[in-house]
Parts: sequence; structure tokens; C-alpha cells
Amino acid sequence: MIEVRDLVKSFDGLRALDGLRLTVPTGAVYGLVGPNGAGKSTLIRHLAGILRQDSGSVTVDGEPVYENPAVKRRIAYIPDEPMIYSQASIRDIRRLYRELYPSFDPERWEKLAPAFGLDEKRPIRKLSKGQQKQAAFWLALALTPELVILDEPVDGLDPVMRRQVWSLLLSDVAERGTTVLVSSHNLRELEDVCDHVGIMHRGKLLLERSLCELQENLVKVQLALPEGAELPEGLDILHESRTGRLRQLILRGKSEELTATLQKAGPLFMDTLPLNLEEIFIYELGGADHEVQNILL
Amino acid sequence: MININFRDARPIYEQVRDGFRQLILTGALPADSRLPSVRELAGQLAINPNTIQRAYRELEQEGYICSAPGRGSFVRRGDAAVLARRAELLERWDALSGELKQLGLTEEELCRRLKGETHD
Repeated sequence: MIEVRDLVKSFDGLRALDGLRLTVPTGAVYGLVGPNGAGKSTLIRHLAGILRQDSGSVTVDGEPVYENPAVKRRIAYIPDEPMIYSQASIRDIRRLYRELYPSFDPERWEKLAPAFGLDEKRPIRKLSKGQQKQAAFWLALALTPELVILDEPVDGLDPVMRRQVWSLLLSDVAERGTTVLVSSHNLRELEDVCDHVGIMHRGKLLLERSLCELQENLVKVQLALPEGAELPEGLDILHESRTGRLRQLILRGKSEELTATLQKAGPLFMDTLPLNLEEIFIYELGGADHEVQNILL
Repeated sequence: MININFRDARPIYEQVRDGFRQLILTGALPADSRLPSVRELAGQLAINPNTIQRAYRELEQEGYICSAPGRGSFVRRGDAAVLARRAELLERWDALSGELKQLGLTEEELCRRLKGETHD
């Protein structure tokens, strides 16, 4: 769906995006994670066709996005700060969207109304920050978009509304194969909703993986070996720590195969533990050093 | 029906899979009953539909459910009781054999016993 190749963008000599490459498959829920200032919002503004790149390419289904209405009308974009005419009411914006987006579905608009419970006649500026965000979701979902781009979407939403919004979005993903790209500085927030994750740091994408393949390829094992016994050869050990006889290993490979191999060493005790997403990325990014942890937290 | 605990260290697809396993084994979901559709469950739990798809795929491979294209996924008839008993007994076997190993029996000795080669 989205292909970004060698994207470079500088602002006043500062390289905000530095040769970034990114691929989002159709129907994926792609989480873009990175610390403040990594370039997430700048990248997203390129994907939404707001910024023009210095070099490189940004395409959706093979078409460039910048100044391309045919592509942009299939995309719903919710920026981190609401950028709508603040004098207008929700109803005014709805009218504008109906003009701009041929895919706007009035029936769906009505159906979604009870989920948000907002007064259509109220001027946007009289809504709270969270309500403005809700209004943005209501409008975006009524567009029946093929691609939804969300910049820090749940900022300012209460936990109940957060869940409501994800529930609506993910139903859309299941029903119509909508592609979603969502940014956050918090990996944990994305863990339950994404199936692909990309990690950004200083204008580059450090790592891009599908969660399915990630979870299957790393295993945490706790074991104690008898006196004098050694670990079997040929293990791909990413990390090892020891407390007395108890070892904790992070291994690359399939859980069943690894336990079978380790059994050969005759462990006194062995337990495999699941890794959470944060741990997986810390080890994938090359160890538990502080710099890496700071990127993820 | 299924609860997702975000503090649980298990990946979400495993929580969904294990949740349904338990519902099927205990008979809370009887044979031929329909599982919620991927869309329903994704909306209800606010989790990624691919995660649910993956849990369903594993349940199907393990023989708990079968899916009829266009109609949904259903609990398989007949196997549930056997599966339940088997799982229960295997769990007890694991605990027993583990304890025997800690008491000094080797895996080979346990295997021989399993094959009926020792009489003591």
C-alpha cells in the first residue's frame, strides 16, 4: 500500500528525514514508534501529501501522493493537532468533507453518531481537545477510506473513548481490509492493535517487522544445568545472564525446537517465558544498552 | 466471552486461543456452536483482526474448531470430551514425570517404563 524510498527532508539545514525507507502492506495495521523528534510527524505529513520531499519517493499503490487528489481522496488523515476551521461546526465540516471525498457515506455517518455522542451544531472551537479528536475520528470513519493515517491518535482521549475508537477502526480493518498507519512514542500502546511495527530514530527507520514473525523467532528460557554441564552447541544466543546456577537466555529460533535442543543438556530445571514487544525490540535492536531502551520508552 | 489481560505476558493471540480452548473443553461452547466472527471479536476486544485470525487458525489445526467458508467457525463435534480428558491427564503426567525426574529417574528410565520394559 505505502512505499517510501530513500526519503530526505531538511528544515533549515536540519535533516528531519535521512534516507528513510518504509513499506506498509495493504490491510496492515502498522505502528510507527520512536522518541520525540525522531521524525514521525514529518514522515506522516509526507504520507498525507502535505509536505514535499527534498529527494526520494512516497507512493500509495504506486502513485505519488504529493499534489495528487486521486490518491489523497482515498486517505483519511488525523493530525496530532486538529487543523480545522475553528469557527465551523461539525456539521459544516461534514458538508465540506462530502464535497471533497466522493467516498463519504452519509448512512455510516448517522450510524456512528451514537458512538461519539457529539452535538453536530457546536462550533469546533467550543469542544474540548478530546472531543475535537473524537469529531476527527467520526469524520474520518465516515469517509470509508482505504488508508487511515493517525498521528498520536489517542492523545487526549479518555480510556473508554480510546477503546471505542480502536474497536471501530479494527472492525473496519476486519471488514473492508482498511490499511492503518499509526504513530506513537509508546510501544506498549500499540502492542495490542498492530500487526506490523516500524521503529524510527533520528530520521531513519531502524527496524520494520511483522509481529507474527517477531513473536515466533525469539524465546526467553530460564534454566539450571547440572554441575559441569555446558549448553549445547549451535544456539543463537542474543543475551545471557546468570544468577548462581540459574541462567536466563534470549535465543533466536522456534520455541519447540529450542526446548528439544536444550533438553539434551539435561537441565535440572527449565522454563520458557514469553517476551513482550518491548523486550523483543530491545534485543532485536542489539542488546539491552541504555540508548536502545531510551528509544523505546 | 474472552478476556484479554494486558498485564499477561502471553502474546494476545495465545490468550485468545487458550480462552477458546478452555471454553470448548469445559463445554461452555458446545459442539456445533458458532464462534464469534473475526470482525465481531476485533471490535469487541479492540484487538487486531489478524491476531484473532491467527488464534482461529491454530484452533483449527489443533482440531478444536472447523471453519465453513462464508459461514464462520464452529466447534467440532465429538472431539471435545476426548480432548479435555487427554489434556487433563497429560497435565497430571507432566507433573508426575517431572517429580520423578527430580527424584533421580532419567528420561530413558521413564521411557522404558512407559514401554512396559521394567517391572519393579
